[in-house]
Order: sequence, then structure tokens, then C-alpha cells
Amino acid sequence: MPILAAQTAFYYLAAASVASAILAVTRRNPVHSMLWVLALFLHVAGIFVLVGAEFLAAVQVIVYAGAILVFYLFFLMLLDLPAEAAGPRFGAHWPWCVAAGTAFAMLAWYADVPGLVPPPQRVAAGGSSQGNLAAVGTVLFTQFALPFEIASLILLAAIIGAVVVAKRKTDA
Amino acid sequence: MVPVGACLGLSAVLFAIGLFGFLGRRNIILMLVSVEIMLNAVNVSLAAFSYQLHDMRGQIIALFVIAVAAAEAAVGLGLVIALSRTRPGVNVDDLTQLRW
Repeated sequence: MPILAAQTAFYYLAAASVASAILAVTRRNPVHSMLWVLALFLHVAGIFVLVGAEFLAAVQVIVYAGAILVFYLFFLMLLDLPAEAAGPRFGAHWPWCVAAGTAFAMLAWYADVPGLVPPPQRVAAGGSSQGNLAAVGTVLFTQFALPFEIASLILLAAIIGAVVVAKRKTDA
Repeated sequence: MVPVGACLGLSAVLFAIGLFGFLGRRNIILMLVSVEIMLNAVNVSLAAFSYQLHDMRGQIIALFVIAVAAAEAAVGLGLVIALSRTRPGVNVDDLTQLRW
């Protein structure tokens, strides 16, 4: 991809991500804000493609946008939680939020000091001959085989835990 | 060529927005979604480092973050079900007990 096109695409995706994230945390209607989160996840998947993580982008679309977010949306409609109170939403917390945002912006600013990181070379992390998926699979099933199994154990524990927590108490 | 510093800046901004949403929202499901926004911001910075350093491990760790996010969604929403069954319509600010 030409450099200019990649940079243009990156800045579009970054601006759209930030805009949809801001809309997601400020909309009053919960379903609208959930749909903005969906837009955010899709744009972040585009950024993953640009930095050469194609498999991660696919997982982002399928798992995050496809499964987790629909799960949340389902719950939101199923439980019919009360609408957020009409009072001021960001009451006493907003100075802390502004401080956190400023701190992260300053960290990002100082990370740009020249010489701190080596200059980026040519292509993405994916290897030269094999594709991104083959590279991910090779690393995942050799070097990270034990963490992979532990992740599956965590998912199993989460499934069982969710069922136990949400089960109706029948002791009455 | 994607500017990696801008990627990290984007990640920081998204993380701050997620933190803002988590602290400011009253709806408990939207608070959990703000946590997902923060996890996604971390994934952006992991992918950016993976690109910069030509190392696959960043992407692998991002995959594990996604798996943990799925587990967190399952357990968190199970807790929301239990909560709405015992105390329907309760405000998040009123939940100060660990057990009831």
C-alpha cells in the first residue's frame, strides 16, 4: 500500500475511533451508545489491518463486534434496566476524568522523544514469506502453548461461574 | 507506513475515554462496556508495538486479552442478572454492600 494512502486511512480510522468512543460514553440512550461502541470496534479492526495484524482484525470483528457486543446488547434489551437518571451524569467525577485523560496525553507526548525506539523498518510483523495467520499460529502453538491452554481453562471457569452466579436460588 | 507514536496516542486517548465512561456512567451494563473500550485500547497499543518491533508476541497477547474480555463479559453479565433478580432497578451508587 502506498505510504500516503496508509497514513490517510490511519488518520481517518483514528479520528473515527475517537469520535465514536466519545459518542459511546456520552449518549443518553444505552442502545445508541452500544451501537457507537460497535462502530468503534470496527474502526479499531481497520487499524489492526493497517499495522499488519490481520488475524487480530478478524478476531476483533468476529469475537468482539460479533459475539461480545451482541451479548451485551441482548442483555441490555432483556433486562430492561432503568434509564439513566435525568440528573447530571458526570457529577463529582469529572475532574478525575480530565486529570486521567491529560496524564495519558502527556505520556503519549513524551513517548515521541527521538531515539527512544528504533526507527520502524519495512513491513509488518508477520514474517517475510508466510502470512500473518501462519505466523500467529506458529507462535501460539509453540512458544505460547501453555498460556493458550490456560486461556481455555479461564474461559471454562468463566462459563461455569456465570451459570452458578446467575442461577436462580431454589432453596426456598 | 503507519506512525506508531500516533497509534500509541490513539490507544491512550481511547483508554482515557473508556475510563471517563466507566466513572461517569450509571448504567451498570454501560460501565462494563466502558471496560471493554479500555481493553480494546490496550489491544491497539499491543498491536502497534508488535508492528514496531517485528515481534508476533504482541498480537498473541492481544488475543489473550480478547479471551479474557470474553470471560469478563460472561461473569459480569451473570452478576448483572443476579443483581437485577435480587434488587431490580437499583442504582449503581447504592450498591455499597458486598453481600446481601
